[in-house]
Amino acid sequence: MKKDINSNGYIFLYATVLVVIVAALLTAAALWLQPFQERNEKNEKRINILRAAGIPDVNKDNAAKLFEQHCTASFLLDKNGNAVEDGTLPLFVIDRRISVIPMKGNGLWGPISGYLAIDADSSTIMGANFDHKSETPGLGGEITTEKFQSQFSGKRIMENGRLVPIEVDAITGATKTSNGVKEMIDNTLEAYAPFFEKLKP
Amino acid sequence: MSNFKKLIIEPLRKTNPVTVLVLGICSCLAVTAQLKPALVMGASVTVVTALSNLIISLLRKGIPSRIRIIVQLVVVATLVILIDQFLKAFAYDVSKQLSVYVGLIITNCIIMGRLEAFALSHGPWESFLDGLGNGLGYSLILVIVAFFRELFGSGTLLGYQVFPQSFYEAGYQNNGLMILPPMALIIVGVIIWIQRTRNPEMQENNQK
Repeated sequence: MKKDINSNGYIFLYATVLVVIVAALLTAAALWLQPFQERNEKNEKRINILRAAGIPDVNKDNAAKLFEQHCTASFLLDKNGNAVEDGTLPLFVIDRRISVIPMKGNGLWGPISGYLAIDADSSTIMGANFDHKSETPGLGGEITTEKFQSQFSGKRIMENGRLVPIEVDAITGATKTSNGVKEMIDNTLEAYAPFFEKLKP
Repeated sequence: MSNFKKLIIEPLRKTNPVTVLVLGICSCLAVTAQLKPALVMGASVTVVTALSNLIISLLRKGIPSRIRIIVQLVVVATLVILIDQFLKAFAYDVSKQLSVYVGLIITNCIIMGRLEAFALSHGPWESFLDGLGNGLGYSLILVIVAFFRELFGSGTLLGYQVFPQSFYEAGYQNNGLMILPPMALIIVGVIIWIQRTRNPEMQENNQK
C-alpha cells in the first residue's frame, strides 16, 4: 500500500509525530545534562569571584578548592545594609578583607554582568571582571579582556564617606556597552552603599 | 573516490557557498572581527550542515513537500540546541564562545540552502559529505576574512600581539574601519574578485 505523502491527514500526522519526538528528545537532554550545566555555572561563578578579588592562577580545576580556602564568609544584605536571611544583595568575603559583589546591567545587545571586589577600607576597588551574553566581538566584547578590566583596580568609590560616580575609559566603537558598564557599577554601588558606609569608622 | 573528492573539495573553490552562491553573508559580518570566534563559528556550522544534511536525507522520502521547510527548520533548530546543551555540560568554555552565535547558526542560509538543493534529492552519505564540504567552504572564507580584519583592525591574531610595540611608537595605528561590519563585505568582495579573475569561466558574460 502506497501512502499519499501530500494528503492533509498524513501532513498532520507527520507534523505531530515530529514535534512529539523533538520535544521528548530536548526534554530528555535538558534533564540529563542539567546537573552538569549547573556545576559548570557554579564553578564559573567561583572563578569570577576569585579573579575579581585578585587571587592568581585560578582555573576551572582548582576553583572549588581555592574558593573553599579564600572565601571566609558570604551573606545576603537587605537594602539597609544589614545581613539578613532573606536579603536580596549577595556579598562574598574573600580572605577576611575583600568584599566581592555581583553586578547586573545592560549592554548594547543584551545583559552584561560582572563582579566587583572592594577593599577592606570600603573605598577602593581591588579588581573587577565582566561578562556578556551578546556584545559584538572586538567591540563591546572587549569588556571581558584584561586590558579593560585592569583599569578599575585602585579606583576610589568613596570620598569623605560619600559615594562618587566611577569613571570608565570607554572602548572605541563600543560607547553603549562602555556606558552600560559604568551604569552597572554605579547602580550596584548605590544599592550596596548603606553597607559600605556602615563599615567605615 | 572521485565523488567523495568532488563533494568535499568543490565547495572550497568553484561552488563555495559564500563567494559563489553568496549565502551566509550576514553571519560572515557578525563573527569575523576576530579569528577565534570565526573558527568556532566555522566549526559549528560545519557540524550542523553535515548532520542536518544527513538527517534530512534519511527522512527525505517521508517528508510531505508542503511542510518541508518547517520540517527542515525543526531538525536544524533541534540539532543546534542539542549541541549547545552538550557543550554547556561538557565544554563550558566553548559554549561561552558560541553563545552569541547559536541563533546565527539556526538562521544560516547555507544550511537551509544545502538541505533544499542537495539533501532532499541525494542519499545520506553523499548529503553528509556535501554538508561537510559546504561547511568547510564557509569556514575557509570566514577564516580568511577574520585573519585580515583582526590583523589590521586590532594588530593581533587569536589575541596575540603581532605588530611589535615599536610600530605603534613610530606612529602606526590600527585601522578602526576593519573592526566595523562593512569591512567584512569589502574583503568578501575582494575575495570574489580574485576568484573570478583567476577562473574566467565563472564570469557570467563569458558563458554566453
